[in-house]
Order: sequence, then C-alpha cells, then structure tokens
Amino acid sequence: MNAARKGWLSSVALELWLPVLLVVIWWVASSQSTSVYFPPLSSILASFAQDWLEPAALVKNLFPSIQILSIGYSLALVSGIVVGTVLGLVAPLERATRPLLETLRAIPGVALLPIFIVLFGIDVEMKVLLIAFGSFWPVLLNTIDGVRGIEPLLLDGARVFRYGRIRRLTAIVLPGASPQIFAGARTALAISLIIMVVAETVGGSGGIGYFLLAAQRNFAINAMWGAILALGIFGYLLNIIFRIVERRVLRWHRLQQARLESHS
Amino acid sequence: MTKLDQSARVPSSSVRSARSANNRRGARLLAQLGVMAAAIVVWWCGSISLPEGVMPSPVATFGTLAQLATTPPFWTAVGETVWTFLAALVICTVVGVPVGLAIGSSRIATQSTRLVFDFLRTIPPIAILPLVLLIFGPTFEMALVVVVLGAIWPILIQSVYAARQGEPLLQEMSRSFRIPPLWFVARVFLPGALPFIMTGLRVGTTICLLLTITAELLSGAPGVGSEIADAKNFLDTPRMYAYVLVSALLGLLVNGAFWAGQRRVLRWHPSNRQENAA
Repeated sequence: MNAARKGWLSSVALELWLPVLLVVIWWVASSQSTSVYFPPLSSILASFAQDWLEPAALVKNLFPSIQILSIGYSLALVSGIVVGTVLGLVAPLERATRPLLETLRAIPGVALLPIFIVLFGIDVEMKVLLIAFGSFWPVLLNTIDGVRGIEPLLLDGARVFRYGRIRRLTAIVLPGASPQIFAGARTALAISLIIMVVAETVGGSGGIGYFLLAAQRNFAINAMWGAILALGIFGYLLNIIFRIVERRVLRWHRLQQARLESHS
Repeated sequence: MTKLDQSARVPSSSVRSARSANNRRGARLLAQLGVMAAAIVVWWCGSISLPEGVMPSPVATFGTLAQLATTPPFWTAVGETVWTFLAALVICTVVGVPVGLAIGSSRIATQSTRLVFDFLRTIPPIAILPLVLLIFGPTFEMALVVVVLGAIWPILIQSVYAARQGEPLLQEMSRSFRIPPLWFVARVFLPGALPFIMTGLRVGTTICLLLTITAELLSGAPGVGSEIADAKNFLDTPRMYAYVLVSALLGLLVNGAFWAGQRRVLRWHPSNRQENAA
C-alpha cells in the first residue's frame, strides 16, 4: 500500500516537473520583457483573468463558441455514424460512392468558408453547418471502416440466433465499430475546433475566434495571448471530457483487450 | 436491405474466376462514374435553382478552371501552396520523428513531456495566427511557422508511441546475439517503429495541407488559399469554386502520393501483404 502510494507520487512528480519548470522559465524570462509581441506572463495572466474568468466576460466570449461547436459537432457525429453504418453494411454502395467521398473529403473545411458565406450568410447557421461539414468526414470514413471490419462470424452467429435487424445493429454492428468510430470522432473534434475559430472571425456573434480577431485589430497583444491560453485550456478540457466518455463507452473493449493480453 | 447485405459478403466466400472479376471491376467503375455524374447533376440543379451569382454551374466552374490553368499566376499560386506545404512537412518530419523517437526511448522522458505535448497539441494552431501575422506579415515565413507549429504534434507524439512499441523479445534477442547498437537501431528498432511513424506522418500530412490553405486564406499569404479569399472579395464565384476545387485536387494528390509512398516503404508489413494477396 505504502509502496503503491509512493509510486503514484513519483509518477505524478515525473509528469508535473517539466510543465511547472517551463511556466517558471516563461515567467522569469518574460518578467522584464519590453518586447511588444512577448509581454510579461504576469500581464498576460491579468488579461486572461479579466477576459476569461469573470462570468459576464465568459458568457460573451465562450458561450457562443460552445454553442456552435456542440451543435455542429453533434450533427457531424450523428450523420457520420448513420451514413457510415449504411455504407459499411452495403458494400456495393460504398464502392460506388468512394471516389465522390474521397474528393469531398479532400476539400479543406476552411476553404469552404467563402462558399458557405455566400450560400448561408454570416450567422450561426453558417458556422454550425461549416463545422458539421468539416468534421463529418473523419467520422464517416472511420465508421465505414469499423463496420466493415466486424468479424463476419459474429453476424452469421446473430443470424443463426435469429437476431432482428435492429438487434443486430445495436448488439453487434455499432459496438463492434465503436473503437474505430471513437478514433474518427477524436480527429473530428480537433478539426471542429479549428473550423470554429475560423468561422467565428466572420460576423459579430462573439466567441473565441471573434475575440482573437478583435484583439489582433486593436493590437491588444496581452488579450491575444490570453485568448491563445484560453483556447488551449478549452481544447484540453474538451479532450479530457472526450477521453472520459470514450473510457466509459469502451470499457468492455479495454477489459476484453486486457483479458486477451493476459492470456497470450 | 437483407438482400444487399448478403450480396455484400459474397466475394469473401466465393471463388472468383478472372473473367467475373473483370466484369465486377467494370461494373464498379460504371457505378462510380454514375455517382460522380449524379453529384454533378445535383450541383448543376442547385446552381440553376439558386439566385444568380450564388453558386456557379459546373460548366462555368470547370470552364474558369481551364482558363485559369493557362495563366502563370495560377501556377504561381499552386506552386506557393505546394512549396509551403512541402517545406512545412519536411521540417515537421526532420524535427518531429527523431525527437519523438528519442523521447519515446526513455520512460522518464516520455512521462515528463506527456502533459506538455498533450497541452500544446490541443491548442488549435489557428489561435497563434494573429500573433504570427503581426510579427511576420502575410508571408511565406508566417505560413510556415503556423503550419509547422500545428502539424508537428501528431508526428512527434506518434513517434513517441512508435519508440515504445518495440517487441521486448527482439531487444533481448539482439542483446544475446551481441548485435551492435547501430545495427540494432537500423535493422530492428526503426523498422519496428516505422508503421507507427507512418500513421503520424499521414495525419500530419493532412493537417499540413489544411493549415497551409487556412493560413493563406485568413492572412493573405500568397497561394491557393489567398486566391479563394481574393475571388470572394470580388464576388467572382466561378473563380472561387475553381480554386476550392484545386485545393481538393491537391488534397487528393497528396493522399494518393502518401499511400503510394507508404506501400513502398512498408512493403514487408502484413497489412500490405494482405492487400496484395486480395
């Protein structure tokens, strides 16, 4: 017990010393800085606290981002999984649509911004749709691969036991594909963050991207650094949430893996 | 549904003769062309039903593209984008892979750097664009900094994993055979790590291209991205669509080149052997 706690402590220390050291170095090195672009960390943190820790400012700067991100990302997830499952199960359809999908996927999501502005205007719908479109592809392609990679024996078995179509879907196809779906969803999350920031530089609905642009135009370097910091923390938190959800949903998978490994 | 379902799984169990395989390939190609044609028809219908100037017809877009392709500025823009992309990819690879492998070879280094890399990786690289733009202006250097800072993380982190994937048995065997360290690195360690490095490079390549075009689009650094922005400012939708199409073609080209390269580099790997057998 004691040894375990000691091991845990030393591993935490091992993970933390470098980040702490880097922050200290940044703090000390920048404390006397007169450079316009690299202000002292202390003033960056002051600006960060003002723009991102006060409730009113948080509502104005972060909530619009969370709103469009969550709607756009959910749209991409749902449509990507549904379409991907269908294409994964119906091989001829998948083969026929593959070149079209590859072409559409190759369009960098951000390059569509001007097209989406002309088509849908500069409001929330445009931003949601752009996020959804850009992050749809990794979910779709990974779902297709995941569904196609399911052991055929399992599907045959399900047929022998006369599983209905829906039961086959929920008991075999979706769980079997879920590790791959999560891999796609993780890539999609990173892409949707980028598109979110870019889309928010258009129009005046607030959000992190809008804040960054305004700070750049006003030459407010401290606010800009603060926003970069906020965006990093926001992305990090999203990743942690993602990891928790993934661990929960794929618990059976990890357990199974562990069991297999201990047997081999 | 069930019917389609079954026909989908026939190829795996049936023995196919060369002729029926040929027929199948022809039918597949026909279906693929049909889907492409259908997509273009949908695009065309959309361009007619929307008010003028919102969405150009496929004919107008491809016509503009053909016209653009005869002008030098078009090729300059494509060249700038490709050059930025390649330079960034080379920097990311040359820095990311060795550093990642070195860190991954030591458990202490891996654990110490994990939080830092995790944090830096999640910052959308676009966030630093305003700052870099103020420092460098809308130039090649600016685009390069943004792209490298965004795309290096998947390559580096995947290389860290790659170094940790080595089979312990191979290490012990190399030691008992007294294989010299350099030999071990070149013949055992690197080949073992290569598949994982390639995964990182694939993700990194995609991100490199995405960021190159994004940086150009937002900052006006010369390239395909800034041409899209320029066409938008003039409300010249056919030119805008043409350049978006070019960015998609670049993406396809890069993907294709990567797969071809990977197949060559990983010829020995089971995932390729299986593919070749099928």
